[in-house]
Amino acid sequence: MLPLLQIQPGILLLIGLAVTTLLFWFFWPMNGGLALITKLIRNNKRALLEDALKYIFDCEYNKTSCNINSLAGHLNIAMDKATQLLNRLTTLELVTLNNQSVALTDDGRSYALRIVRIHRIWERYLADQTSVAPADWHHEADRIEHVVSKEETERLAAQMGNPVFDPHGDPIPTAEGQLPKHRGVRLNTLQEGEMGRITHLEDEPRSIYEQLVVLDLYPGMQVYVTDVTDKKITFVAHGEECILTPLFAGYITVEKLSKEETQAPKQELLSSLKIGENAEVLGISPNCRGSQRRRLMDLGIVPGSKVSAVIKSASGDPVGYRILGTTIGIRKQHADQVFINRKN
Amino acid sequence: MEDTTRKSKGEDIISAANSARWDLGTDFHDSIIESIYENASHIARKTVKQVGEKEAYSFDLKVDKLVTSKWLGFPMMFLVLAVVFWLTVAGANYPSGLLASLLIDTMHPILKNLAASINMPWWLDGVLIDGAYLSMAWVIAVMLPPMAIFFPIFTLLEDLGYLPRVAFNMDNLFRKAGAHGKQALTMSMGFGCNAAGVVAARVIDSPRERLIAIITNNFSLCNGRWPTQILIATIFIGAVVPASLAGVVSAGAVVGMAVLGIFFSLVVSWGLSKSVLKGEASSFSLELPPYRPPRVLQTLYTSLIDRTVIVLWRAVVFAIPAGVVIWLIANIKIGDLSLAEHFIDWSNPFALVFGLNGVILLAYIIAIPANEIVIPTILMLTVLSTNMTDVGAGSGVMFELDSIADTANVLHAGGWTLLTGINLMMFSLLHNPCSTTILTIYKETKSLKWTLVSTFLPIVLGLIVTFFTTQLWYLFTT
Repeated sequence: MLPLLQIQPGILLLIGLAVTTLLFWFFWPMNGGLALITKLIRNNKRALLEDALKYIFDCEYNKTSCNINSLAGHLNIAMDKATQLLNRLTTLELVTLNNQSVALTDDGRSYALRIVRIHRIWERYLADQTSVAPADWHHEADRIEHVVSKEETERLAAQMGNPVFDPHGDPIPTAEGQLPKHRGVRLNTLQEGEMGRITHLEDEPRSIYEQLVVLDLYPGMQVYVTDVTDKKITFVAHGEECILTPLFAGYITVEKLSKEETQAPKQELLSSLKIGENAEVLGISPNCRGSQRRRLMDLGIVPGSKVSAVIKSASGDPVGYRILGTTIGIRKQHADQVFINRKN
Repeated sequence: MEDTTRKSKGEDIISAANSARWDLGTDFHDSIIESIYENASHIARKTVKQVGEKEAYSFDLKVDKLVTSKWLGFPMMFLVLAVVFWLTVAGANYPSGLLASLLIDTMHPILKNLAASINMPWWLDGVLIDGAYLSMAWVIAVMLPPMAIFFPIFTLLEDLGYLPRVAFNMDNLFRKAGAHGKQALTMSMGFGCNAAGVVAARVIDSPRERLIAIITNNFSLCNGRWPTQILIATIFIGAVVPASLAGVVSAGAVVGMAVLGIFFSLVVSWGLSKSVLKGEASSFSLELPPYRPPRVLQTLYTSLIDRTVIVLWRAVVFAIPAGVVIWLIANIKIGDLSLAEHFIDWSNPFALVFGLNGVILLAYIIAIPANEIVIPTILMLTVLSTNMTDVGAGSGVMFELDSIADTANVLHAGGWTLLTGINLMMFSLLHNPCSTTILTIYKETKSLKWTLVSTFLPIVLGLIVTFFTTQLWYLFTT
C-alpha cells in the first residue's frame, strides 16, 4: 500500500484538522497569519512615527499636556522605545523637547495634519459607503492611514464631495492643513434643562465608543438634559431617555442650543407602519449616510411625500412600501431610519 | 506683482470658504439635496395627475399579497423552480439525444472515413477529429438544449415580474448572510449556467453585494454538472438501497447536493461579508415592478442570443483545445505509459487521501473548459488506465455508454467504491468554475484578485470537505 495511506485514519484526520485550522488562520483577514506578515513587512517604523505625531497633535489640539510617559502609554510601547522614537522625531526636526513636554515643529504639525486628514477621510468613507460596523471605523482607518498614498485619499475625498467632518464629528483638516479651533463643551458640563446638539463622539477607547453606538447616539442629534447628579446624567435624545455616568458623558461633545432652535423630540419611524397604513415622510435620520441615504431619496423618500405599507415579505423582513406609484422593498434596518408623521 | 496678489486673494477666498463649511455642520449637503428633491416632488404633486393607475395597481396588490403570503409564498416559489427544472431536464433529453446521435454517432464516423480516404496521418486525424471535434460535439449536444430551454423560461419569469418577488421573499435569509436579496435570482440563474449567473449579478447595484453574488455563484449546481450528479447517484447511492427505493433515494441525493450548494453559498457569503468584503461599498433597495404580460418573442430572441449563444460559443472555444489536450495526453507515450497514465499513477496517492483517484483529478483538470465532458473523460481515462480492451472507442476518444449498468461496470473495474461516488459528487459541487465562468468573472469584476479568489476558494473547500468525509468514513468503517 502507499505510505500515505498507512497512517491511521484518526491521525490523518487530526493532521487534516490542524492543516485546515492553520489554513483558516493564515488567510483570516485583520489578524490572520498573512495579515500579520504584511503588517510586519509594512513599514512598521513609519506607522509608529505617524501614530506618535498624531498623538502629540491631538494633545496640542485639545490643550492637554503631552510627555514621554503618556506617549509610551498611548502607543503601548516600552519607555526606552518611546525615548528612541522621540529622539528620532527630534533628529527629523518634527518635534522639539522642552524639559518634559513635547511640542510639534511646523513640519511636524503639517505631517500630523496630513495623517489626520487621511484618517478622517477614510473614516468618512467607511461610514458612508461600506458595511463596516461603527465600532470598527476608527481601527480600520488607523490601519489604512499608514498604507494609502495622499493622492489616493484626495481622489476619494473628491469623489465624496470633499467632506469636512468625519463620522464622529471631528473636523477634517483641509489639504493645506487648516483646522478650525476646538469648540463645544462636554456633555457632563451641561446643567439640568439645557439643550445641545451632539457634535462629536470620542472614538477611543473602543469599549466606551461601542456603548455610545449601542445607545444610538450620533453627531447631529439633539439632546435635552433632564437630570444631573454626581453619579449620572439623564438626558433625552430623539424622544428616548438615556442615562450615562459623567465619565461616559465626558466622551460626548455638544454645542449648546437655545430653546428656539429645538425640534419636536420624538418622531415615529417608517418601520412602525403596519400593512395598509398611510403616512407622510418627515425625513431621514442623519445616522443613515452616503449611498444608502441617496438611494432612499432617489426612490422618493423625501420630506412631504406620501408613503404606505402594502406588502410584507413571506419571511417577514423587507416590507413593500408604496411610494410615488412604485412598490419598493425596504429592510427594517433602513425603515428604522426614516421618520414619518402618521395621518389621522 | 499683480499676479501674486490675485493669487493670495484667491487663497483667502478658498480658506474662507473652507472655514464656512465647518460652520455649516455635517449635514448641509444632505439638506440641499433634500430640499431639491422636496421641491421637485412638490411640483410633481401639484402638476401631475394620475388617471386610472389605482385600478391597475389593486390587481397587482392582490397578486402580490398571494405571492408573498406567509404560507403560500415559499411553497409557490419551490413549485415554480421545480417546474422550471423539470421542464429543462425532461425537455432537453430528447433534443440532446438527437444532437448526440447526429454529431457523435453519425458525423464522427463520416469524418473518420473522410480522413481515411484522404490518407490523413493517424495523429492528425486523432487530434482533429477524436480530440477537437468530439469534445466540441459533446459540449454542444449536452449544453445547448438545456440552456435553450432554461434561459427563455427564466427570462419570461423575470419579464412577468415574478422574480423580484422571489428576491423580496428570500431577502431575509440573504440579509443574515450579509448579502442582497437579489442574490436569490443570480443563484437560481446559476442552476442553469454559472457564467450566466455571474452576468446576472449586474442586477445588484451595490458593489459589495454584487461581488459576493459573483464569488458564490459557483455553488449553484449548473446544468453541466446535473448529469454527472444524477449518473453517479444512480450508480453508487441507488445501489445501496433496495431496487424499489433506488430511484427516490438517488434523486434525493442529487437534490441534497443542490441544497448543500445553497448552504455553502450562504455560509461563504456570510464569511466573506464578515471578513474580506466588509470594507466594500454597500447599499440596499429592491424595487417590485408591476406585473406585465411578457413579450414572448422578444424574450425568446434576446435570451437565445444574449445568454445561450454567447455562453455556448465561449464553451465551444474552450472545449476545442481541451479535446486536443485530452487526445494528446492519452496518446503521447513516455516509456510504456502515456502521459495520462503517468499523471494518474503519480497523483493517485494524493487523490486517495481525499477519497478520489488520479483519474478524477486529471479529468477535472482537463475538463476545466466544460463540466459536460467530465464523465466521458473519466470513462476514457479509466479504460485507458485499467487496460480494458472490450469497451471504449480507443485511447484519447471520449465516449459515453448507453446503459448505466455498463458505466457502473467500467467504474467498478477502475476501483470505484460508494465513497468515491460520494466524493465525486461533492467535488463536482465544490471545485473551480469552468473556464467560461472564470473568464466571465474576470470580465465582470475587472479584477484578477477576485477572479483568483472565485477560482480557488471552491477547490480548497472541496478538498477540505472530501478529505474529512473520507477520513471520517475510514475511521468508522475500519
